[in-house]
Amino acid sequence: MENRSANVPDLVKVILWLAAIVYLVMALTLPAAAGTPSWQPNASERLVKLPSTYLKKAIERDFEESDLAAAMSDVGSRIVGKSRTLEDLQAAVEQAEGEVKTELRHQFLAEKQKFIRLVGERQELRQKQIKTRIRVYEKLLAKLERRGAGSSPAGEKLLEKQKQARQRFENSVAAVDMKLFGSAAAGESKYARDYSKNMAVIETLVSAVKKHPMSAEPEIDGRPISKQDYLRQLIANNGSSLALLDQEENILGYMAKLVALDAMALAEEVAADDGGDDGVEMGELSVSSAVDFFINR
Amino acid sequence: MSVKRTFIPAIVAAAAVMLAGAVQAATLENLERERGIVIEALLDPSLTPRQRQDKIAVSKRRLVDLERMVLRDKSLAERHDPVVRKAFDNYDLTFLIHASVEKNAALIDHWLQQVGVSTHTLMNARLGRR
Repeated sequence: MENRSANVPDLVKVILWLAAIVYLVMALTLPAAAGTPSWQPNASERLVKLPSTYLKKAIERDFEESDLAAAMSDVGSRIVGKSRTLEDLQAAVEQAEGEVKTELRHQFLAEKQKFIRLVGERQELRQKQIKTRIRVYEKLLAKLERRGAGSSPAGEKLLEKQKQARQRFENSVAAVDMKLFGSAAAGESKYARDYSKNMAVIETLVSAVKKHPMSAEPEIDGRPISKQDYLRQLIANNGSSLALLDQEENILGYMAKLVALDAMALAEEVAADDGGDDGVEMGELSVSSAVDFFINR
Repeated sequence: MSVKRTFIPAIVAAAAVMLAGAVQAATLENLERERGIVIEALLDPSLTPRQRQDKIAVSKRRLVDLERMVLRDKSLAERHDPVVRKAFDNYDLTFLIHASVEKNAALIDHWLQQVGVSTHTLMNARLGRR
């Protein structure tokens, strides 16, 4: 009994420790997860069924409503603000003199660094957007291809038989009509009458659908392409955007390097200015000026 | 602007659903039922020739429509079950009216020919114990 009561505080301790660990892990991971803007589009059946021309727009609309789009727009506006600050600082540096100029140059460099960091952030978000887009297009393409490859040899055979039956029916339908409904006594049935009426309506609608701009098939070099080809084209386009983004990262890298070099140059200049008289003395004690010591004995 | 944003995707989604959900009428099952009635009328010994003729005439008109409904039913392309396979395996037996008119034969002659009963086979038949 005593042994059991001694164990109870131990158990409470263990539970408390576990709770503390869980709380700590959650506190460390959750803000990071919540802080990452995301876009999780779904490659749904609805998207597969949409006309090719609308597909891209639907995905873009989905993106516009995501956290990632909001984050990109936020970073974009911060970049615009930062580039204005840089313009102002650049103008101010050109007009300033002395210590104020050094201070402004320092500030200019610091702002340049922040600008590069912001552009880098935007690049990361854009990369995320393009990669997600490619993933959706690939999923849609896989779905479309699965659909096409879904029929078995037996299914293909059955489809072929249905096609042949329809062909045979189309060839004989006029003769059958003449024979069965040719006489005035045996008029057409309600189904036959309504079917012809509906058929006329359907043909009008089908031609309107074909003429509708939203149902226009996508084209490459003026030639219409299938939905699969259109998706492959979109994937390729996004792949090239990724490659360009990679190149832009190189540009950013060079920008950062230039900022670092500018900072080093500024530091050298400030150090030289702080040296003041020593610098002049060093200048006076140049090797050429010491030549006289060696010529005139 | 917000109205546009809310309603346009909803309309597109509804249109997609409407396009996806075709009307599922059991066309083939209806045809099979009617075809069964015609064949029963053809073989029923209790009917007088007049009664048989009247019954077949009524069914024939219905069968024409039902056969056309089956042939125009696009949903059958997605059905791979034995009923559909069997139906399209033999056009002449499934689409009795169209096939008989196409061959310029009477309905009963056409059907008997398709099931392998001809004057020749009947004349050669012998009564015996199996």
